[in-house]
Amino acid sequence: MSSMMNDLLSGIADYFPMMMRKPAPRFVTERGNRVYGMVAEFTETPKVFHAAEHVRDAGYTKWDVHTPFPIHDMESAMGIKTTKLPLMAGGAAITGVCVGALLQWGTTAVLFPTVVQGKPFDAWQAFLPVTFELGILFTAFMCIFGMLALNGLPRFHHPLFTHERFCHASNDVFVVAIEAEDPNFDPVKTRALLEEIGGTHITLIEEED
Amino acid sequence: MTQIAANNPAPAVTALQDSEWESRLAKIAADPRMSEDNTTLAPGALGGLSKIFAGLGVLGLVVTIIGWFTINPYHALAAYEVGVFTALAMSLGALFFVMVFHSLNAGWSITMRRQFENVAWMLRWVWVMMIPIVIIEIASHGVLFDWLDPHKVESSHLLEVKSAYLNTGFFTIRFLVYGLVWIGLSSLLFAWSRKSDETGDRTLGRKARFWSGFGIPCFALTTAFAAFDFLMSLDYRFFSTMWGVMYFAACALASTAAVTLICSRLLAKGKLTGLVTHEHFHDLGKLMFTFTVFWGYIGFSQYFLIWYSNIPEETAWYVFRQQNGWQWLFAVMCIGHFVVPFLLLIWRKTKRTPALLTFMGVYVLVVTVLDMAWIIRPMAYANDRAGAADPGFASGSVLFDLAGVVGVLGIYGAILAWKIGRSPLLPIKDPMLHESMNHKNYV
Repeated sequence: MSSMMNDLLSGIADYFPMMMRKPAPRFVTERGNRVYGMVAEFTETPKVFHAAEHVRDAGYTKWDVHTPFPIHDMESAMGIKTTKLPLMAGGAAITGVCVGALLQWGTTAVLFPTVVQGKPFDAWQAFLPVTFELGILFTAFMCIFGMLALNGLPRFHHPLFTHERFCHASNDVFVVAIEAEDPNFDPVKTRALLEEIGGTHITLIEEED
Repeated sequence: MTQIAANNPAPAVTALQDSEWESRLAKIAADPRMSEDNTTLAPGALGGLSKIFAGLGVLGLVVTIIGWFTINPYHALAAYEVGVFTALAMSLGALFFVMVFHSLNAGWSITMRRQFENVAWMLRWVWVMMIPIVIIEIASHGVLFDWLDPHKVESSHLLEVKSAYLNTGFFTIRFLVYGLVWIGLSSLLFAWSRKSDETGDRTLGRKARFWSGFGIPCFALTTAFAAFDFLMSLDYRFFSTMWGVMYFAACALASTAAVTLICSRLLAKGKLTGLVTHEHFHDLGKLMFTFTVFWGYIGFSQYFLIWYSNIPEETAWYVFRQQNGWQWLFAVMCIGHFVVPFLLLIWRKTKRTPALLTFMGVYVLVVTVLDMAWIIRPMAYANDRAGAADPGFASGSVLFDLAGVVGVLGIYGAILAWKIGRSPLLPIKDPMLHESMNHKNYV
């Protein structure tokens, strides 16, 4: 629970640095900069796939693989669980349907009964299109904004961009990046793991102010 | 000079070479899942099922004929038609999906395509089962079709005006055209698919793709007009431009349910192991979900426009079906045909678990039968034609309604079960088969 709270505070600090400071870092460099994490490079698809499986099995949870193209089944190699977004969207859909139905029924049947085309005040048929549309609207909003809230986009900058070789991740190199926020992260042990699974150009990434 | 020649682009390769196709087919044939035991049914493996279906079918039809004489012809014919149009919906929808798969060059569906083809192949027998309806209606000057009765046409201005379209000759010609298009398309597509099983000729797939493009509009027009002729004209006053689409939605939905049931039956027999997996069921479930929503959307749009504009000749159709004991069937249509399957099929787990999706297939077929009953059955006693009040579904006469449906669907199922065993259970030499064999939903 406290780690979730930490994530939330850290997320707010990313977007509104004037409002709050980031929680104290777990690791700092000699220059006093916050350590973002450690990256390693791979040049073959099967290698990075199996490397991802090793990182997953080592118990890391806050890490990512950056590839120039989608790799099928990478999510299971990384141990990524199904997103909660469908459930959130479902909740939004139910809210939208209730709001739509209540708004129309409450106003045209209860608060201010109005004769429209001689139809009954509480004709459910007339309420359905708007109810349906509001359900869709709320669901769409939840899908878009819920997705953005879950993946932390859009953002102006990312610490990985301070790493010069990172641009190769969109060209000819696969990059595995493990964050220092991960409870398992350790500058020595993580480097050893990345070396063991065949990573090259292993670099510690520090955030620059 | 040599450098310029080296920089010239290589000659464009537009298609795979023959040798590459051959090696692809060899690779597919070498897959352990493609063993003869896994891809073919032993003769008579579905014989028991076929016999049960045939027994039920004959029993049902005999009871229907008894009903013809003991109750009245209207009730018996309506019950028979409910069964026939459910069967027609399954087969027409399957024909549609086969043509869509071909024209979109679909890869995922190939291991199940033979079952779609089998169900579509049944169109010839459904058409044969429609012949008695046409002959009886024409010979007796309209049992359920008031517009075939010359006395009624004379005394009704509306029928006189509509007789340019609704008359015996043109109706017969249209019925023959439907048969030609349906049987022609389904036979051709089935024959090409079967021929490729033997020869592995990949041009057959291209041929099927080419003709599917022309087949889809022909299918759309014949389905819509058959729905106008046989279902909408039951009440000659009623008209709706959405009617053809309504029946098409029922077709597509019923065929996904039928193929789900066939595939789950074959898996239970130990066939198609590893070829039709929960990934394929997931996609079938998505189609079932899609057409549940599509049916609901089209059904409500039609109802809503008619309800809002409130024009008597249109509303009469719905008013009649919201009274006289049919109002509960209206509720079943709203909740049972849309809300319940929508809420059940929206779960990923329902679609990915073959047992759950099989249950949904049975459920969807039941509500499709009720859908047809809702359209056809109230007309049996409409306009005082039977000279008696409608006994409704509550009385014992519901057994005669059941008999008509069970009779037709029993015969249909018996022939289908026989047909499934007569060919390999999937197009074994389709050049894109590997796509379907390794199909996975990456979401």
